[in-house]
Amino acid sequence: MTRQDIEKEVRDIFLRAFEVENPEMDVNLREAYGFDSIDAIELLLEIEKFLDSELTQDEKKKAMDIRTMKQIIDYIEMLARKRGLAVE
Amino acid sequence: MERRVVITACSAVSPIGHGKEQIVESLLKGISGVKALREDELISRFIHSHVYGTVSYPIAYDFSRQYRKTMGPVAYYACQVAKEVLAQAGLPAEFVTGGRLGIAFGSIHGSPTVQRDIYRIFFEAKDKASYQGIGAVDYLKSMVHTTAVNISKMFGITGRIIASGTACTTSSQSIGYGYEAVKYGLQDAMLCGGADEYDTITVAVFDNLLACSTAFNDHPEQTPRPFDRARDGLVVAEGAGAVMLEEYEFAKKRGAPILAEVIGFACNSNGGDLILPNLDGITKTLQLSLENAKIDASEIDLVSAHATATKMGDIIEAQANGAVFGPGPYVVALKSYMGHTMAACGAIETVLTIYMMQEGFIAPTLNLEDIDERCAMVHHVQKLIEHPVKTAAVQNFAFGGVNTSLLIRKLT
Repeated sequence: MTRQDIEKEVRDIFLRAFEVENPEMDVNLREAYGFDSIDAIELLLEIEKFLDSELTQDEKKKAMDIRTMKQIIDYIEMLARKRGLAVE
Repeated sequence: MERRVVITACSAVSPIGHGKEQIVESLLKGISGVKALREDELISRFIHSHVYGTVSYPIAYDFSRQYRKTMGPVAYYACQVAKEVLAQAGLPAEFVTGGRLGIAFGSIHGSPTVQRDIYRIFFEAKDKASYQGIGAVDYLKSMVHTTAVNISKMFGITGRIIASGTACTTSSQSIGYGYEAVKYGLQDAMLCGGADEYDTITVAVFDNLLACSTAFNDHPEQTPRPFDRARDGLVVAEGAGAVMLEEYEFAKKRGAPILAEVIGFACNSNGGDLILPNLDGITKTLQLSLENAKIDASEIDLVSAHATATKMGDIIEAQANGAVFGPGPYVVALKSYMGHTMAACGAIETVLTIYMMQEGFIAPTLNLEDIDERCAMVHHVQKLIEHPVKTAAVQNFAFGGVNTSLLIRKLT
């Protein structure tokens, strides 16, 4: 799994689940696309499916400070590394 | 301080049409919205009553995902009629979000479609993954105040929220409590109504109580038959209705269209049996609404009866109306056109009454061919008549022993 794979998956999730096409990397998702706490919970479920691994409560709580696409990708990369999934 | 309250917009999604043009046409032509019960792959095959007041036409919703994500089918109906009354009323944008506009809107139990999906997971969950199928938003879609808060979110309305959930009096209470909120200066305007979505569980409840119509399964349009000798019970239905209430001077000053004035409201409880209709309770409600409006019974031109077409309910209602109003006012049972839209019925029947006031006709009670002599003490309408309506009473009575009477008057 590469960072590019993660980015592609996150963009797919945003299009499929949140109807957001090509979100910008560094904008505040709430301000730009109305991405709220409900969407954040749904995103976590999507991430679990993508990694095929359950997130711990602590890991989920860490996601609550995320505001941008870049932070989401960083977050998934961190989770993937922790699970020994290859990230180049 | 008591202020006058007027209706400045109204709309309905009903089994006989969406909006004024279609609904008036159905009333004028005597078109029924009762259709065959749909297969639900759950319990419909066990239900004896195979009829349902159905919204069978497509509705072109235009809600972005930001709003859709917390909406079950019932909230779609609610937000659609809310959107329409907001557009019709033409309130300034800063007023809509400014805190002086509130919402009184309800449904009988949120979204049963969403609740059913939750229960399916509850009973079938075998692992963590299936448990996670209960979405973060399922409660927001299914809770009893889902209609009111989805409206508040969609339109940024920041005033008070009243979300009554009193079965068949849900939306008559919405209008009544909205009226009181404006009358006593708590709000300057209230968006009021009710909605309910397609739901076979509600049919099952009434079916098991032997209260549903079963004798006209092959001819859905011939039932319900309020006040008719051959009536055999109610027909459950879906839909939504909404009105905008505003303080009279405020509405007048801004040049708003004034459709009617709400001149009185009463709500009481039977304080006893939760199912059986109660003559004393209903009679008292009708009297209390007259006292509230400070008018005489003789001033009522038209009664929109609750009249669900149950054996006892119609008799008790006719007796109460006969005792309070005598044989003077015309009585129409609008459920004869569409069945019982549950939480929406009070609002839909108010909207239809306004349409008749505006157009100067009184629709006949559909399927009323042979008046039950026990219901004959009031002036039933069996044929379409052209007749001006100045003052009308909209009556609704609910499981739980809740009664409401709303009085509205055309401004001349």
